[in-house]
Amino acid sequence: MSNEHTVKSYEEELRYLIDSVIKMGSLTESQLVDSMDAVIKVDKDSIDKIIKSDDEINKFRSKIDTQIMTLLVKRAPMAIDLRETISSLKISQDLERIGDLSKSNAKKVKPLPLDLPEELLGNLKRLGELVIKQLNDVLDSYVNKNYDKAKEVWEKDEQVDDLTYIAMESVIDFLSKDKKNLDFSTHLIFATKNLERAGDHITNIAESICYLIKGEYLKGSRPKGKVIQQ
Amino acid sequence: MTKEERLKKRHSAEKRFRFYGLASIFVALLFVLILVHNIFSKGSSAFMKTAINVEVFFDQELLEIKNGATEDQILEADFYDITIESLLKVFPAQDLDQENQLIDLFTTDAEIEIKRAFLENNNLIGKKINLEITASDDIDQLHKGNYPRDLPEDRRRISDFQLIIYDNLVENKKIIKNFNNYFFKNGDSRDPELAGIGGALIGSFYSIIICLLLAFPVAVLASIYLEEFAPKNKITDFIEININNLAAVPSIVYGLLALQILLATIQLPRSTPLVAGITLALMTLPRIIIPCRASLKAVPPSIREGALAVGASKFQSVFHHVVPLALPGTLSGTIIGLAQALGETAPLILIGMVAFVVDIPSTPIDPSSSLPVQVYLWSESAERGFVEKTSATIMMLLSFLIVMNFLAVYLRQKFEKRWN
Amino acid sequence: MELMNNVKIKSKNLNVYYGEKQALFDVNLDLNEKEVTALIGPSGCGKSTFIRCINRMNDVIDICKVSGNIEIDGVEINDKNLDVVSLRERVGMVFQKPNPFPKSIYDNISYGPKIHGKGETKSELDEIVENSLKKAALWEEVKDRLDEPGTGLSGGQQQRLCIARAISVNPEVILMDEPCSALDPIATAKIEELIDELKKTYTIVIVTHSMAQAVRVSQKTGFFHLGKLIEVGKTEKIFKNPDNKMTQDYITGRFG
Repeated sequence: MSNEHTVKSYEEELRYLIDSVIKMGSLTESQLVDSMDAVIKVDKDSIDKIIKSDDEINKFRSKIDTQIMTLLVKRAPMAIDLRETISSLKISQDLERIGDLSKSNAKKVKPLPLDLPEELLGNLKRLGELVIKQLNDVLDSYVNKNYDKAKEVWEKDEQVDDLTYIAMESVIDFLSKDKKNLDFSTHLIFATKNLERAGDHITNIAESICYLIKGEYLKGSRPKGKVIQQ
Repeated sequence: MTKEERLKKRHSAEKRFRFYGLASIFVALLFVLILVHNIFSKGSSAFMKTAINVEVFFDQELLEIKNGATEDQILEADFYDITIESLLKVFPAQDLDQENQLIDLFTTDAEIEIKRAFLENNNLIGKKINLEITASDDIDQLHKGNYPRDLPEDRRRISDFQLIIYDNLVENKKIIKNFNNYFFKNGDSRDPELAGIGGALIGSFYSIIICLLLAFPVAVLASIYLEEFAPKNKITDFIEININNLAAVPSIVYGLLALQILLATIQLPRSTPLVAGITLALMTLPRIIIPCRASLKAVPPSIREGALAVGASKFQSVFHHVVPLALPGTLSGTIIGLAQALGETAPLILIGMVAFVVDIPSTPIDPSSSLPVQVYLWSESAERGFVEKTSATIMMLLSFLIVMNFLAVYLRQKFEKRWN
Repeated sequence: MELMNNVKIKSKNLNVYYGEKQALFDVNLDLNEKEVTALIGPSGCGKSTFIRCINRMNDVIDICKVSGNIEIDGVEINDKNLDVVSLRERVGMVFQKPNPFPKSIYDNISYGPKIHGKGETKSELDEIVENSLKKAALWEEVKDRLDEPGTGLSGGQQQRLCIARAISVNPEVILMDEPCSALDPIATAKIEELIDELKKTYTIVIVTHSMAQAVRVSQKTGFFHLGKLIEVGKTEKIFKNPDNKMTQDYITGRFG
């Protein structure tokens, strides 16, 4: 028995939906990279790029919503098709949020102070790279329907939490040493937090992908790293 | 050929076809009308008979009974003298020959008619009344216009003297036509004016009833068994083929069968409605089985399944559900089969119904005739008077057949409406 | 915690042949009481053949041979000595095309009880007729015209009449062979609502071509293909996440 729907247009609609999600994911990934560049290198060009691509991401979001409504009403999808449809809804929502967070990080870009500790920059960079890698891995696992990879991403959220904690500590340290950098430091605090939240959304995506592939929810609660003291 | 040409050709073909259809219907109707007209014109006169108004004097001296005599005594008594005396008063006759000619103007049953009138009214001794005495067959035919008057006397059945009397009676309005109740009441007779289908009617009636009582239950039960219960194998296929063939067997063969088995072997009384009924039943059996089976087959299996699913046994599902639905088709098939049996002549001739039977049969084992056989017998007679009677009998037969066929159609429609 | 209903009907190694052709291969299927089990699968896969085994309706087909076990409440019904008539009193059937008797509505319902000796007096029969029609959600619509022929009702009403007829003999199991396939959506919805109510009292097995209907109506679903039972399980599991690839291909429309 072939693996294609007997009704070809159904097959096409489903494929088109998945493609839209993948494209949206690519855009989100680029946006995340660009936002890190904006924060660390104060790259003004990146800011323009981000504003444009955010528009694209939102357009994709609407397009995917419409496609999902159409699929539901036309095809009454079952089993794997149903899980595919619902997970694309959730994933696109999470991707949109990641896009928003990236945009938020890039919008208030300020010139770097001259005496920024190497450690601080390093921690931030490491956190950013991890989150970018997570997003890359989770999108990969979506394209290849790789359960194990998705589960790994889900488990690595612990690391994200840990790196966030370390980065946050350095920022607070920097802030407490020199009060005249308050403006800049506040911005860095929010940027760090946003990266952590982006990580959470990536973990959501990983959960959706696991449910999509296996039809069962991941057991147990998410692995949590150190909690930041408020 | 272009599209227009093709269309035109098709239209003209359809028109031609419609024309042929209408033409055939027209031709068929024409034949029917000719036949009906022929029969009706010849037969309608049989329902009236000619009678002559005669004054009858119940002379005490000629009658040997008194007032208050019993019916038996009256029937025994001799009314001959009174009859002759009354008849001779109708016209002056010169000699014995003329007297005989005068008497011949009346039916041979004149005495019986006078006696019957006396019986109906017991206080007639010494009184005179006017009676309408039935005329003889010759006068009857003459009055109905069937005898040509312009032949020489020796080639006529009515003498000149009789003609004079006749014309006189006509002038004096003493000769009339009244309803011919003899046609229905009497059995066969040598005298055409007295002949009736009474015997044949009762004979046919008994035969058909016996045929129905024998054929219907056997045929219906056999059909139900063959259609619903019998296993489908070569034997039942063989039976089915043979039943279909039996329906096509010429009816005279059944007559031969009856002759050999019923009359020669079992020695049942010949020429009786009993034997006729049995013979007709044998013949009608396949003609009922075939429509009955077709009706049973026509009942949709969903009805049977519905009954079985509710917990009916096979027997219950057949008799409570299938048979009632098959009944309209079966009934109309039966009625048509009976109508065919009513018109059967050949087998009945073979079992001896060609005998000359005067009495009306009172039981199915009294000898009798049947309507179609009576037609056959009368058509062989020489007298002119029988011609109209033959045609009238055919009219009676046809009316029965038409009524039975209409009944079949009506029943079928009534039951089918309930089903759908 | 979910309550597990008891097993009402159990089939084991059930094989059915139409002459030389085998229609069912070693079917092992348990049907729970007071629950709706749906049987799905492509045409000719054996689902109708299977349910007809449960009330021995396959007996009327000469060339049909049934081997294996079917038990109802632990009693084997594939036994030659079993009284089929009393079996069909306990196991009722509703067919794809509504087939009311060409009699009055009253007579349609009272026929079953009468032949099983379940209503001797007229008032007893009246009560049975009223109850059956009420349970089939048809009473209000026909209570003033019980003398009219059953065939004069609309398609949906006729089917509810057939359901009432099946209920009238007080069965334990109701078998439904594509009961809604000849009906419009409104009539279908009414019957699905009815099935929801009926499952509180009767064990119901429904064969259906509509997967959406199977999901809506049943708690347990069995998927048949070419005479074999491919997968059986809780309805939600079968339609959200079936174990067998053939099942998934069928319910998602990958017919090959």
